[in-house]
Amino acid sequence: MNNLLVIENIHTYIEQFHILEGVSLEVPQGSIVVLLGRNGAGKTTTLKSILGLRPPRQGKVIFEDREIQGMQPHLIAQLGIGYVPEHRAIFRDLTVEENLKIAERQKHDLDKRSDFIFNVFPDLKRLIKLPAGNLSGGQQQMLAIARALVPENSLLLIDEPSEGLAPVLIEEVMDAVRQLSARTTILLVEQNFSMASQLAERYFIIESGRSVKNGLMPDLIDDQETINAYLGAA
Amino acid sequence: MKKLWQNNRSLIIALIIFLGAFAAITQSMEAKVWASILLSGITLASLYFLVASGLSLIFGLMDVLNFAHGSIFVLGAYVGLSTYANPRLLFNTLPFFLSLGAGITLARSFGVPFWRLKRTQNKPQWFFWGLIALSLVLITLSLREFPIRAINAFGVTAVGGIVSTAEAQEPMGTMLLRSALLFISGLPFGIALAPREDYQEGSRRNPGRVLLTALILLILGLAILLLRDPGEKFMLGLSVDLRFVLALVLGSLAGALLGAAVEIVLIRPFYGNPVTQLVLTLGLLIALTDVIEGVWGEEGHPPMTPPSLFTEPCRSESLFSWFGEKCRSIDVLGRAFPSYRVFIIFLGILVFSAVGVLLRRSRIGMIIRAGVQDSEMVQVLGINVRRVFTLVFALGSGLAALGGVIAAPFLGVYPAMGGIFQLQAFIAVVIGGMGSYPGAAVGTLILGIARAFGDHFVASGIELPFLETTLRGSPALAKASTVLIMAIVLLVKPAGIFGKKE
Repeated sequence: MNNLLVIENIHTYIEQFHILEGVSLEVPQGSIVVLLGRNGAGKTTTLKSILGLRPPRQGKVIFEDREIQGMQPHLIAQLGIGYVPEHRAIFRDLTVEENLKIAERQKHDLDKRSDFIFNVFPDLKRLIKLPAGNLSGGQQQMLAIARALVPENSLLLIDEPSEGLAPVLIEEVMDAVRQLSARTTILLVEQNFSMASQLAERYFIIESGRSVKNGLMPDLIDDQETINAYLGAA
Repeated sequence: MKKLWQNNRSLIIALIIFLGAFAAITQSMEAKVWASILLSGITLASLYFLVASGLSLIFGLMDVLNFAHGSIFVLGAYVGLSTYANPRLLFNTLPFFLSLGAGITLARSFGVPFWRLKRTQNKPQWFFWGLIALSLVLITLSLREFPIRAINAFGVTAVGGIVSTAEAQEPMGTMLLRSALLFISGLPFGIALAPREDYQEGSRRNPGRVLLTALILLILGLAILLLRDPGEKFMLGLSVDLRFVLALVLGSLAGALLGAAVEIVLIRPFYGNPVTQLVLTLGLLIALTDVIEGVWGEEGHPPMTPPSLFTEPCRSESLFSWFGEKCRSIDVLGRAFPSYRVFIIFLGILVFSAVGVLLRRSRIGMIIRAGVQDSEMVQVLGINVRRVFTLVFALGSGLAALGGVIAAPFLGVYPAMGGIFQLQAFIAVVIGGMGSYPGAAVGTLILGIARAFGDHFVASGIELPFLETTLRGSPALAKASTVLIMAIVLLVKPAGIFGKKE
C-alpha cells in the first residue's frame, strides 16, 4: 500500500525543551490511523510538527513523496492537509458560514462541497448565520471538522474530537469521521480508546516523545498488556 | 429583554451613570454651550480614533504594542505639510525612495539562491542583520551632506499662511549619483528580505515582471528628478483644495509604506518575542522623532491654512448652506463652530464606517477578525497570515498618518505632537477593550468628550444642581481625567468595555 504521509524519526523542541525525541509513523493512503499515548506524550506536538507550526529540528516529514519539514505552515496546508485542532478551536466571533468560508482555498470551494458537508452535519445548515461562539460544544466540534472539509484535502489531522463531549455526541462524531474516511485519509489523535479502536485500522503509540509500538488495530484490542503499559491510567 | 439586561448589565449601568453625569453637568449650561463643547469633544475623538484604531487592530492581530504609532502620526502631518506648502521636498526626495525601492525589489527576487546556499548555516539571523546593516551604512553614505534643511525651508506669510522659502537645490548630477548609490544600497536589503526557501512564494513570481517593476520604479524616479522644477511650479499652481487632497493621499501613503517596512524589518523577525518588539518600537519612536527633527527642524510650524472650503469669513446657517458658502464656521444653536472641525468629524465617521465594512464584509476582514482570535489556526487553513500582518500594520499606520495630516491645520505641526495622541489612543484602546475595533471607537469617543468637558470645567467651571458654588478644577485635573476614566472602567470591566474575558 502507498503511504500518503511518512514521518521519519523527528525531533521537535518547544523552546529549549526536547518534546519529541524520535517519532516515526506511516499513514497509508485511504486509511484511518490513530496515534495513541498518554497525556503529554507528544501527540498534539506530532501533529503540529507535521503542520509546520512546531517545525522539527531533525528528521523528515514526507507527504505525497515530498519532504515538507521546514516549509511554512500555510504552504504545507495548501498541499492538501486539513487540521481539526483540539479544544474545538473554531473562530468564535465569526458566524458558522464565515468559519467555513475562511477555509476556502479557491473561490466557490464551499459551494462545491456544501451538499456533502451539510449531508454529514445537517445541524450546521440550520445554524449557518449564528456566531460560532453561540454553538454548543458538540456543534462546535462538528463545525471544526466541517471547516477542514471545505477545501480539497487529501489528509485530515484530527486532534481529540471526543474530548469533553457527551457519549451521544461522541457517537455522532464517530459517524461523521467514518463518513469522511470514504473520501480522505485520516490521522486521528484520540484518548478515548473505545472510539479509537472502532474507527482505526492501524495504530501508533508514542510514550514520552518516542514511538514505542505500532501495528494493526485488531491485534492491539487483544493485547491487554500493551494497553495497560502505554495507555492505562498509570 | 431580561437577557439583554443580564448580558450587558455593567454596560447599561455605565451608560446610565454617564448620561446622569452628563445631565447634571449640562443642566446649568445653555444648550448652545454644551452642544459646541460636545462637538469639540467629538472632533478630538475623531483624531484620537484615527490613531487608536490602528493601534487596536495591530495589538489584536499581532500582540504588538506599537509605541511608534504616534510618531507615524507626526510623520503624516509633516509629509502632508510638505506636499501642501513645499513640494520641492517631494521632488528632491521621492527619486531616492524609488531607486532604493527598485534595488530592494530586484534583489528580493533574485536573492533566493543566496539563502539556499546559506541554508546549511545554523545562524542565518547573522546574515540577515549583516545585510541590513550594510544597506543602512550604504544609505547613510549616499545621503551624506544632502542639504535637506536648505531644500526644506519654510516661512510664515503676513496672513499666517506657510510658504516655502527654499532656495538651494542640489545639482542634477549629484542627485543622479545619489540615486544610483541608493539603488545599490537597496540590493543587500533586498537579499535580506528574500524568501528563504525555493518553494516559497516570491521565487514563483515571474522574473520578467520583477524586472519590469524595478524598471518602472527607476524610470519614475528619473522622471520626477528631471521634471523637478516644472513639477514644483505645477504643484504650487494647483488650487489649495487639490493640494490638500494630495496631502491627505501622500501623507497616508507615506505612513502606510513606513508601517509596512517597519513590520517586515523590525517586527517580523521577532514574533513570539513581545518584549523585543516592544523595545524595538520604543527605539523606533526615538529614531523617527530624530529623523523628523532633522528633516523638518525642531521648532515646529503654525497650523497650516485649511483648504479654501473652510476659509470664507462668514458663518453658515446650517451644514447644507455651508456646501455653497464655504464658510469658516457653521452655526450650532446660535454659536459659531469651525467648519473644518465638522470636516474632521465627518472624516472620522467615514474612516470608522469604511474600515468597519472592510472588516465585516471582505475576505481580508474576515481573516483579520479570525486572526485576532487565533492566528495560528488561520495559518494552517492555508492562509499566508504574515502578509495579512504586514497589510494591517500598513493600514493602521496609514490611518494614523491620515490623522496627522488632518490635524495639521487644526493643531499646527511640531515634532512632539504625536505624544499626546499616542497616550490618549493607548488609554482609549484599553477602555474599549484591547483588539476590539468598535471598542476603539467608543473609547476614543469617551475620552474626547471627557477631555472637552474637562477643559471647560477648568476654564469656566461647572455648576452642579446641589451645590451653591461653581466647581472649578485645576488644569492638572483635566489632563488626569482620562486616566481617571480608565481606572473606573477597568474596575468595572477589567478587559475593557468590549473586551473578551480571557
